[in-house]
Amino acid sequence: MATRTIRVDLLTRVEGEGALDLQVIDGQVASVQLNIFEPPRLFEALLRGRSYAETPDIVARICGICPIAYQMSAVHAIENAFGIAVEGPLRALRRLIYCGEWIESHALHVVMLHAPDFLGFPDAIQMAREHGEAVRSGLALKKAGNELMRAIGGREIHPVNVKAGGFYRAPSRAQLAPVEQSLARARELAVGLVRWVAGFRFPPFERDYEFVALRHPDEYPIDQGRLVSNRGIDIDIADYETQFEERQVAHSTALHSAVRRRGAYLVGPLARYALNFDRLPASVQTLASQSGLGAVCRNPFQSIVVRALEIVYACEEALRLIAAYEPPPLAALPLAPRAGTGFGCTEAPRGICWHRYDFDAEGTIRAVRIVPPTSQNQPSIEADLAAVAAPIVDQSDEFLRNSCEQAIRNHDPCISCAAHFLKLSVHRT
Amino acid sequence: MTGAAARAPAPCKLLVVGIGNPDRGDDAFGALVVQALDGRLPSDVPAIECRGDVLGLIEDWSGCDGLVCIDAAAPLGSPGRILRIDLDTGPLPGDLSGMSSHEFGLAQAIGLARSLELAPRRIIVYAVEAGSFGGGAPPSPAVAAAVPIVADRIVIEIQRLRDL
Repeated sequence: MATRTIRVDLLTRVEGEGALDLQVIDGQVASVQLNIFEPPRLFEALLRGRSYAETPDIVARICGICPIAYQMSAVHAIENAFGIAVEGPLRALRRLIYCGEWIESHALHVVMLHAPDFLGFPDAIQMAREHGEAVRSGLALKKAGNELMRAIGGREIHPVNVKAGGFYRAPSRAQLAPVEQSLARARELAVGLVRWVAGFRFPPFERDYEFVALRHPDEYPIDQGRLVSNRGIDIDIADYETQFEERQVAHSTALHSAVRRRGAYLVGPLARYALNFDRLPASVQTLASQSGLGAVCRNPFQSIVVRALEIVYACEEALRLIAAYEPPPLAALPLAPRAGTGFGCTEAPRGICWHRYDFDAEGTIRAVRIVPPTSQNQPSIEADLAAVAAPIVDQSDEFLRNSCEQAIRNHDPCISCAAHFLKLSVHRT
Repeated sequence: MTGAAARAPAPCKLLVVGIGNPDRGDDAFGALVVQALDGRLPSDVPAIECRGDVLGLIEDWSGCDGLVCIDAAAPLGSPGRILRIDLDTGPLPGDLSGMSSHEFGLAQAIGLARSLELAPRRIIVYAVEAGSFGGGAPPSPAVAAAVPIVADRIVIEIQRLRDL
């Protein structure tokens, strides 16, 4: 029996810390384990006994890249439990700040973290010497996203203006005017970014994923919708636990999610796009077609193109929302706490972020469950890795290692959210 | 325009940036030095705080000739120890690189700016060795004591950079 072991102690250009173990026995991939060894972060435990009013600022700390996703899912759940719905200009503001998060998060991943894989550079700093214009575009896009988050949220990392019922303070039209100018330029830069990444060479690799995303009657999903899949799931977000389960696995401090009685599924840009292509504006659909994509993309390596398309969409949507914006009469709707359970689910840049909170009559949290996108994608990432590695197990350790790292980065995993860094070990027997 | 004015060199553009989260113990050092410099720098030398995304600074400092950064460094056992690092003479030490894979650190931002030819010609970093980064905690006495000392040195540093 021939054994081969390849080890990568540190996977770079992902958010968080973890490792990968690849077992190869007699030239066949025997097992793949994405090991997340970051200590559990215990947010669900530390939220117990805290007031609903503290929740948005606590859950924002789960992630520095996608704090809005956690804040929005939390405030939706609180409002759901207390029996109010936030609509009109307050909802528009929420969608607007969420656009800022999509723009800054996707721009960081597309240009700084993922593009170097396709162009043969170890990092964005080396890549910038030959692809300066693209990197400058990425920086400008990230800055535009940050600017939008700061204008509404007070600051770009862990914004402080979100509360249950709305915001602490709603911006004036004049305060959004400079952002509108930045976004108009950002939209053009994003179109250029789509064309740039669409020109990369993609491995001819597809997988038959079960895609899961929100779906809204009229909109490309960000903050509202039913949970749907391409294999028949179509449920209210409150019914998530009836269709999905989380499992503990020995090799990871993050839980693994699965569709009950079926298994792995995929959330994030590929899923949103496949399940909601018809909800994209014609301008983005045309750009997708010009970029060589159909209405469904099953090649995870092409997720970089889908992310770039979603930046264009987020810029257009933000511009539309700003053009229509009238400041709300109240920055937040009044809330009356009551005992009950509330559910929230919104589309983080990496996929659905699902929350459930049980409150007592004073609005104190009695129990909480938070399901981040990366824990949902872990089994699919492992399946991708096995499929990517299988035909190349005879290649050099370095080639195998680089290919596996790229396959992981296809899904922009945020290991910090799921529990944090990647170490790759390949054991060949 | 007089002949003398036409021959005068373009004014040297300088920027001072204090980096860090003022609500995280000794990470407040950069912001505290910027506040201590209020009214002490020439009017054409802005001093700004950066509490979040360091990558966003690249646009702020592009077009500048000189940059002075103030940041807290990882604890190594001597909190309050002041380091002056001239990037003409060597790279930024590893412990001033990004501590998180979520965001690019100062060293990566400077490296990226240099690749893009957007980095100031002269970059001086003043770092103070931190004791702790506790959430909501005040800066430690040793790091707080370093604030006026570094502010004084930066006033002199700016004058020296302008005279180069």
